Amino acid sequence: MIKLENVTKEYNPTSPALIDASVDIEKGEFVFLIGQSGSGKSTFIRLLNREEKPTTGNVYVAGKDIVGLSSWRVPFLRRNIGCIFQDYRLLPKRNVAENVAFALEVIGRPKHVIEQQVPAILDLVGLSEKSHRLPAELSGGEQQRVSIARAFVNRPLILLADEPTGNLDPDTAVGIMRLLDRINRTGTTVVMATHDRGIVDTMRRRVIELVDGRIVRDQAEGEYR
Amino acid sequence: MIQKIRFLLAETGQNIWRNLALTLASIIVVGVSLSLFGSSQLVARGVDNATRRWEGGIEFVVFMRADAEQSQLDAIEAVLDESTGNEIDSWVFVDKAQTFDEFKEYFAGDQELLDTISVDTMPPSFRIRPTDPNAGAVEALGSTFEAKPGVRTVVFATEVIREIQSNAEKISRATLWAGVTLLFASTIMILTTLSIAIASRRNEIEIMKLVGASNWFIRIPFMIEGMIQGVIGALIALPGLAIVRTYLIEDFSKSDVLRLLEGFRVTDAEFLFISLGVLGIGTLVATIGSIFAVSRYLDV
Repeated sequence: MIKLENVTKEYNPTSPALIDASVDIEKGEFVFLIGQSGSGKSTFIRLLNREEKPTTGNVYVAGKDIVGLSSWRVPFLRRNIGCIFQDYRLLPKRNVAENVAFALEVIGRPKHVIEQQVPAILDLVGLSEKSHRLPAELSGGEQQRVSIARAFVNRPLILLADEPTGNLDPDTAVGIMRLLDRINRTGTTVVMATHDRGIVDTMRRRVIELVDGRIVRDQAEGEYR
Repeated sequence: MIQKIRFLLAETGQNIWRNLALTLASIIVVGVSLSLFGSSQLVARGVDNATRRWEGGIEFVVFMRADAEQSQLDAIEAVLDESTGNEIDSWVFVDKAQTFDEFKEYFAGDQELLDTISVDTMPPSFRIRPTDPNAGAVEALGSTFEAKPGVRTVVFATEVIREIQSNAEKISRATLWAGVTLLFASTIMILTTLSIAIASRRNEIEIMKLVGASNWFIRIPFMIEGMIQGVIGALIALPGLAIVRTYLIEDFSKSDVLRLLEGFRVTDAEFLFISLGVLGIGTLVATIGSIFAVSRYLDV
């Protein structure tokens, strides 16, 4: 599903963000990307949805080379990739249902599809009761659920999560992880960058560890060491 | 498809609403610049029409001295009568009182000037239409009057027309440059308005990119917003042009001061052509501003 071949990304030549990374991720895998701040986790994720291009090397998503993808095709790549972030990135003036619907509206989905899919996904993330609340009226965990709903409503092949539990207390984080696990079980490949030792050790999934831009460990059912 | 269009229009409406003051300012600048631009074209057309009209009936005016004696006037009249039917087609005598009336009308606003003059200081004149309209022939004929007793000067209509022409050309050129400069300013205004609209919506834009909205889907609301500014600006310029045409140009030509401005008017066809041109330029300016704004500030 995702393949990196000898990928190096330099923002400036003296300290590359990612050095000679080669990774192969199968469909339906759940992968933790761990490492300290600045180790290259976010760069790794940004390379997968073509927010960045590698300086050298190849990136394949769903069997397609995405480095050479022309810019007008990039949106179609991204329709297959859901993204969530530490800071949720919700639109403050739209309510929960509108935030989720927005993701479908801007890719031109018909109204009857939106009216059917938005309640279904809100039910999945457990926010049916709060669909008319504004983001500011929700807790951090609930806001992250909205952002997951928005990322997943279009049923992407891949879900990229950059520190999704970074702003949440441990109990709330567990709830978010359960949700991501459920999404993963539907066959969606999940790549999650995290600092959270407890989560990694509890879930026991594949772990890719980055130090100063190099992959130093790639272990099935790994722990946070 | 209808769904998409509705969404894009709603987005555009929201952009404009959030940014209303700047959008209005931008529309006004477009409107004013296009009014000036259009006016310069109207004046140019008017001058063309006036001078074309005059090619067929060149006149010259023999101005007598204010203190010319009746016998001197009679002498000129006798010469004119003699030539009528030969070199001269027709002629009119304008006496002091008529000249004074015209003068008063012409300088109606300037009481100070009117106080310093009187009927007695006005030069009487003969307005002459020669048989041969050729400029050389007119000049040859006119200059024969210059040396006659009591004659102050001979003014050829061609000179007057040339002067009107050059003055109108100056006005036309000045308004054209003001219009072009303001059009440039309009482009920058539209550009700035759009860059602010884009900046104020950067969160939405970021999410649109993230979930895979196509590049055009992101750009179109801003482009429509720019186009609206240009087109509405042009639409408010059109009544301005109609006013210039009616009150400045047509009324000017109706005033019978010297009757030299006769024919200084703009035909309906010309007005339509200029109006369409103004609309076209407004759209063009908006298109340039919009394309520049989305390609520069909207990094999709």
